[in-house]
Amino acid sequence: MNPHNRQLVKIGLSTAAVWLLLMALIAGCGGQGAVAPAQGEAGENAAPGTAGSGRGSVTLVIGAYSVAKDALQEIMPMFSAEWKAKTGQDVKFQESYEASGTQARAIAGGFEADVAVLSMEGDLDKVERAGLIRDDWRAGPDGGMITRSIVVMGTRQGNPLGIRDIEDLAKPGVKVLYPNPQTSGGAQWDINAIYGAGLKIAEEQTGVKDEAAAKAFLASIHRNVESMDKSGRASMAAFEYGVGDVIVTYENELLARIAQGVKYDIVTPSRTILIENPAAVVDVNADKHGVRDAADAFVAYLHGEQAQRVFAEYGFRPVLADVAAQFADQFPQPRELFDIGYLGGWDALGSKLYADRGIWYQVLAGR
Amino acid sequence: MTNLLQSRWWSWGFRSAVMLYFVVLIVLPILGIYGQSFSDGWPQLVHNLSDTLAWQAVLLTIKLAVIATLINVLIGTMAGWVLIRYRFPGRQLLNSMVDLPFALPTAVVGLMIMLLLGPRGAVGQWAEEAGISILFHEPAIVVAMVFVTFPFVIRAVQPLLEEMDASEEEAAYTMGASKAKTFFRVLLPAMLPGILSGAMLAFSRALAEFGAVVLVAGNIPGRTLVASVYIFGQIESDNPAGAAAVSVLLLTLSFLILWLVGYVQARRMGR
Repeated sequence: MNPHNRQLVKIGLSTAAVWLLLMALIAGCGGQGAVAPAQGEAGENAAPGTAGSGRGSVTLVIGAYSVAKDALQEIMPMFSAEWKAKTGQDVKFQESYEASGTQARAIAGGFEADVAVLSMEGDLDKVERAGLIRDDWRAGPDGGMITRSIVVMGTRQGNPLGIRDIEDLAKPGVKVLYPNPQTSGGAQWDINAIYGAGLKIAEEQTGVKDEAAAKAFLASIHRNVESMDKSGRASMAAFEYGVGDVIVTYENELLARIAQGVKYDIVTPSRTILIENPAAVVDVNADKHGVRDAADAFVAYLHGEQAQRVFAEYGFRPVLADVAAQFADQFPQPRELFDIGYLGGWDALGSKLYADRGIWYQVLAGR
Repeated sequence: MTNLLQSRWWSWGFRSAVMLYFVVLIVLPILGIYGQSFSDGWPQLVHNLSDTLAWQAVLLTIKLAVIATLINVLIGTMAGWVLIRYRFPGRQLLNSMVDLPFALPTAVVGLMIMLLLGPRGAVGQWAEEAGISILFHEPAIVVAMVFVTFPFVIRAVQPLLEEMDASEEEAAYTMGASKAKTFFRVLLPAMLPGILSGAMLAFSRALAEFGAVVLVAGNIPGRTLVASVYIFGQIESDNPAGAAAVSVLLLTLSFLILWLVGYVQARRMGR
C-alpha cells in the first residue's frame, strides 16, 4: 500500500468512527421516542387481515384517563365476549392510562388511540382540534358522555373536624387537598365546584351572581390548601398517606376507595357541580387501523346497560336512566346541583377563570 | 496502536465527533430554548417574566437553594475533613456512600423523605406534635436539596486536603498558633477554592432539582412551588413560552455560576 492510499483509508476510518458515534446517538433517541407510537402499530398490523372479514382478531387501542381504569378493565372483557358472539372476531385491547390532560396531549401528539375516554369535554376538544375526530361526538347518545359524578368532600373516618358543607373548608386549621388545575384538567372540576358554590351563595344572599364574591370564597378556601398534586389520583394518594383533613374530589374516587375498605366519610356539599365524562372514537386513527366497526361498537357499549351498571358499581353516576334509577339510593342528591352551563361553559371558564392572569391566577398570586 | 491513535487523522475524527456531539446534544437544545422564549417577541417574554407566580417560584428556589448550599458547605466541609484526616472503622464504607445521592433516582430520594418526614413517619409525627409542618412546606424542600447536592462540597474539598502537606499545619502549631488561628489562617485558605466551587455546583444543582422536590413540596404557586415544578406546570398547561421564559432565567443563572466556578478554579491553578 502506498502512503497516499493509507491516508485515504485513515480518513475513511476516522470519518466512519464519527458517524458510528452519531448513529448510536440517533438510534438512542429513536428508541425512546418510539414507545408511544409502537402501541399503535400493533393495531395497524392486526387491521389488514380483519377489516370487513368478520373473522380473526381486531386490536383496539384505548387512551383513557387514569380514574376510569378499574371500571374499564372490567367492561373490556364483557365487550370482547359480546363482540365475539356477534361477529366471531376476537377483540384485543391495548390500554394506556394517564391524567386526562396528559392523555389528550398524547393522542393529539401522535399516540394512535382508537378510542379516547377522558375526564372532561375540554380534553376531548384538544383531540378534536388536532383534527383527529371528524364526527360530531356530542351528537351521540347522552351528548357523548358516558359517566357522571359530582364534586364532594372526603374526610377522615368519623369526620373529626365536623365538616358539614363546602364553607367549612375555609375554617382556620382545616387542611385541604385538591389537585392543581393547571397540570390536571380533571382538577378543574374541583375548582369549578368551589367557584360555582361561591357564585350560588352570592346569588342566594344578594340575588346577583357576584364574581368578586365567588373569587373571595375560592381564595378563603385556597388559604387552607396544604398540597396541590399533579392529578386527582396523586391527591388521593397523598390523602391516603395521611396528609390533610379534607380532600375535594370526585364522588366516584371516594366511593371506589371506600369499596376497597378504606374508611373515609363522604360529605356531599349542598351546592356542587355535576361532572360529565366523555368518550369518543378517534376517527382518523380508527379508520387508519381499519377498526372502525369495533371502535364504534365499543363506544356504544359504554353507553349500554351492562357497562353503565359496572360504572355505577365503581362509584360513577350512570347516564342511562334505568340504571340510574336502580342505583339512586347510592347517590345522594345535593340540594343545588349545577352544571358547567351555570358557569357559562368551558370556553367562558377558559377565558375568565383559567385565563392568563385570570381569576384563578389572582387567587394564587394573592390579589 | 498508540501510533495509530496519535495519528492526526484520528485526532481529527475524535475532535469532530466531540464537537458534533456537543453541538447536537448541548448547543442546539439550549439555542432552541432561547429561541422559544423569544418566539412571541420581547413584550411576551417580559410579560412571562413579570408573572408574579413565576417570580415567586424563582425567588423561593433561590432562597431555599442558598439555605441548602450553606448547610452543605458546613456539613460537607466537616465530612470531607473527617473522611481525610481521621482513621476509623467504616471510613471506607462512609466514603463510598457519599456518592449515593448521585446514583439514586431523585424520585427515590423524594419517597425516602416522604416516608421519614411524612405524617406516618416517626420524625413527621414528632414534628406534628410540636406544631411544625415539615412535609409539603419549605423545610422538606431544603432537606431534598441538601440530600441531592450532598456530595459536591465533600468531593471538591477532599483532594485539596489530600494534597496538603501535614507539615504546614504542624509548622503553624510549632510556631505557637492557636487551633483556631491554624484553622483560619492555614487550613481554611487551602480548602476555600474547593468549598467555593463545590458550593456553587451544589447551588446550581439545587436550583435545578425536580424529582425529589415535586414529591415533597406542596407545589402551591406562590407558596411552595419551586421554579423547576413551575416550568413543568407551564408545559402541562400548554404554555411552552412561559416555561421557556423561566427556563432561560435559570439557564442564564446556571451559566453565570459555572463561569464563576471556572474563574475560581482558574485562579487556583494560576496561584
